[in-house]
Amino acid sequence: MSARLRAFAAGLELYALSLFGLLCLIPVLAMFVPGFLLGLVFLVPGPLLAVRRLTGVVRRRTGELTGIEIREPYVPAPPLPQPQADGWYQRDRQLYKRLWWPRLADRIDWVLGDNATWRDLGWLAVSPLAGLLGVLPLALPVAAAIFAPAPSPLLTFLLVAAGAVVGLAVAPQGLRVTARFHRRLLGGSVLRTDVQDVQADHRVRAWVAKASSPVVRLALLLLTSLVAIPVFAATAIALILGYGVGLVFVVPWAQADLRWLADWRRSLAHWSGVSIPSPYRPLLPLVRRPDGMFRVRKSLYKSERWASWTQRLYWVQSDPATWREFVWRGTDPIIGGLIAGVPVALVVYGIWGLILPRIVHLFVSDSPASFWYGTFFGHPGLAIPGGLILAATGVAIAPAALRLHGRWTRLLLQPAGETVLAQRVEQLTLSRADASDAAARELRRIERDLHDGTQARLVALGLRLGAIEQLIDTDPAAAKDLAGQTREAAALALRELREVVRGIHPPVLAERGLADAVRALALDSPLTVTVDIDLPMRLPEPIEAAAYFSLAEALGNAAKHARARKVAVRLDLILGERTGDPDVLRMCVRDDGQGGADPDRGSGLRGLARRLGIFDGTLSLSSPPGGPTELIMELPCVSSSPRTSTSSGKDWFSF
Amino acid sequence: MRVVLAEDLYLLREGLVQLLTAHGFTVVAAAETGPELAAALDEHEPDVAIVDVRLPPTNTDEGLRIALAARRRRPGLPVLVLSQHVEQLYARELLEDGSGGVGYLLKDRVLNADQFVDAIRRVAAGGTAMDPDVIAKLLTRAQPNGPVDQLTPRETEVLGLMAEGRSNAAIAQRLYMSEGAVGKHTASIFGKLGLAPSDDDNRRVLAVLAYLNSAR
Repeated sequence: MSARLRAFAAGLELYALSLFGLLCLIPVLAMFVPGFLLGLVFLVPGPLLAVRRLTGVVRRRTGELTGIEIREPYVPAPPLPQPQADGWYQRDRQLYKRLWWPRLADRIDWVLGDNATWRDLGWLAVSPLAGLLGVLPLALPVAAAIFAPAPSPLLTFLLVAAGAVVGLAVAPQGLRVTARFHRRLLGGSVLRTDVQDVQADHRVRAWVAKASSPVVRLALLLLTSLVAIPVFAATAIALILGYGVGLVFVVPWAQADLRWLADWRRSLAHWSGVSIPSPYRPLLPLVRRPDGMFRVRKSLYKSERWASWTQRLYWVQSDPATWREFVWRGTDPIIGGLIAGVPVALVVYGIWGLILPRIVHLFVSDSPASFWYGTFFGHPGLAIPGGLILAATGVAIAPAALRLHGRWTRLLLQPAGETVLAQRVEQLTLSRADASDAAARELRRIERDLHDGTQARLVALGLRLGAIEQLIDTDPAAAKDLAGQTREAAALALRELREVVRGIHPPVLAERGLADAVRALALDSPLTVTVDIDLPMRLPEPIEAAAYFSLAEALGNAAKHARARKVAVRLDLILGERTGDPDVLRMCVRDDGQGGADPDRGSGLRGLARRLGIFDGTLSLSSPPGGPTELIMELPCVSSSPRTSTSSGKDWFSF
Repeated sequence: MRVVLAEDLYLLREGLVQLLTAHGFTVVAAAETGPELAAALDEHEPDVAIVDVRLPPTNTDEGLRIALAARRRRPGLPVLVLSQHVEQLYARELLEDGSGGVGYLLKDRVLNADQFVDAIRRVAAGGTAMDPDVIAKLLTRAQPNGPVDQLTPRETEVLGLMAEGRSNAAIAQRLYMSEGAVGKHTASIFGKLGLAPSDDDNRRVLAVLAYLNSAR
């Protein structure tokens, strides 16, 4: 009994915090009005950070009262901007004399860019409702008093008493559910549709995740198709204005500045198992002629502004991708919308249109019913089985619909052959520059190492041998002493030379190949590294070397920055579907460190991406604050086909 | 003592032959390539084989593989492996059968003739000779809560020297303590690593193995 009372008390305390949170939401939202509408953005971060104090208390008290620990989900605060050598602060491409503005802008980016901020606000809004489960001993009697049939006070009293008893009986369970709800919203990302991550022993949960994820994805794709309607309308109006009325300046706007929608769809295409690279031709830089004029096609322009504007217009108009995309904007709401919409509609109508209304009907007899809502072709009795069949059909066809949707998207949004070539040339130019830079840097480093180390030591050796030659007759004891020193110097030179050689091409890689070289690397790491390698064959030497050095760097990063203790390294080959030849070498490095690695900030990760890019390799990173960090590197093994995304099909999205 | 030597660099091979002969060894065969080494090992059945990891024709780890294969055919065949670089991976493979009589040294160690010859004799007698560089790499990490983690710092030091293949007398000299004290430390190490009393040399090899595995 006392445990139930304690649970009730704990529930009351948490509920009080929830109510206080709802109160806090009002001033926070009030600050958004001047903050976002009037541009007084500096008002925004303060209240949002104050909310974190409250949610912090909720996290702590939930942990103390229920034993359900909730960890802090926030991205770590950005470091203070550092002044440059001349005392100015740089942020993006702007210089500032004083610290306050770059610091504030950093803070705004940090707070608003953190999904945990928005989850906090969501918690403020809904926790007074969801928190009712934690105070059932109070909520049930109150509900009984409100909904009880009015005339009989005795019956009302009995109902209220029964509510109190039942509420008290299930108080601990209710409290746990509430605490889990708090953890859901306050303890990190909610919607992580990463099916592989769902624990295998939770069979029901795994099944739900597996069944619902295609439907959820289709629903989001349906949203993009709906957004295409206004975008198409805007494009069509702009084209009529542009070519019909002569207001050509709206044309590049409608066609180029609205490309984000197609980009969004392309970025979601991997859900369907296809990868669609960007199809647009690169915008060439403007060329100034010797006479100072700018040439765009056959016209010459004096002003650079006009020239670049015209060039942009031609660039947009002449790109076939533009026109294919225009057709896509018009047809996608219908075709894409149907492909995505049918399974979603079946599930939504089956559950919310048939099953749930029917269940409500059973309890509340006088609720309004219509022909389609809660009845199956006019038969209320068929509503639940009919709804189940519809929802099951929706779930069943969702994976196929998702694949079909990918094909449809690819049909109009993938690049034409010519554009692929143009992009490839650009990419190769960049990666060739990277490769020659890297090679030159390496040669320079090796030259310096040999020059400062080994060469100097050999000179010293020669000098000492000369001295021994002179001393050997006159002072044999001193000569012997010197010979000993000379031997030690030779050992030192060898040691240095060994380090140089290791940096050029690790001997164990030459002797044993990649698998054993990685095992040796793992043994030499200060961390506990487990290695899982599935490599049935040797790979081309340059690929092995690139893979080795990338892994060495990744392991070094894990030791240096992530404060990790354990690292798991996995290497496997993805074989080509038709040929059976090795296609892609996938290297996965997962550590248990603090996470929060950002490829945009760390130069190490950028260097790694460049190193892989030389071989058309790719890098993808998942590093939520608090860890774990997972780095997936992929290197194509034979062909030099371009790759734009990892084939792992993993995606993380959090709200 | 009859020695089979395999080394592909002419100068180093001749230098080693001279050095060994000067210290009273009989070099029965000085092989230049992997196949030559394999043939010589079968033909001469030497007291100890001194083998370079990298040998022609493939210039990969041919020497090491031939040595390991020969040890499988003739367990306990003493092998001293030389290399320009040391890898814990190779050390582990050499020690894996736990029968002792293995050495793994950097080629640099040849420069110090006395220590090098001492190492050959230890290996030939069934002991071990691990390069200090391998041991140093091991010392930088030991798994928490493993049996090796329970050793005192002094015992870890003793184990490190034992892993190099030093005798109790040599360890005592190096650490400035009496031989008796070293004996006590080694007994304590064997106890903590759960090694039953048996032939002392064999136990030393097993201790080194436990040490290597703890760092995995």
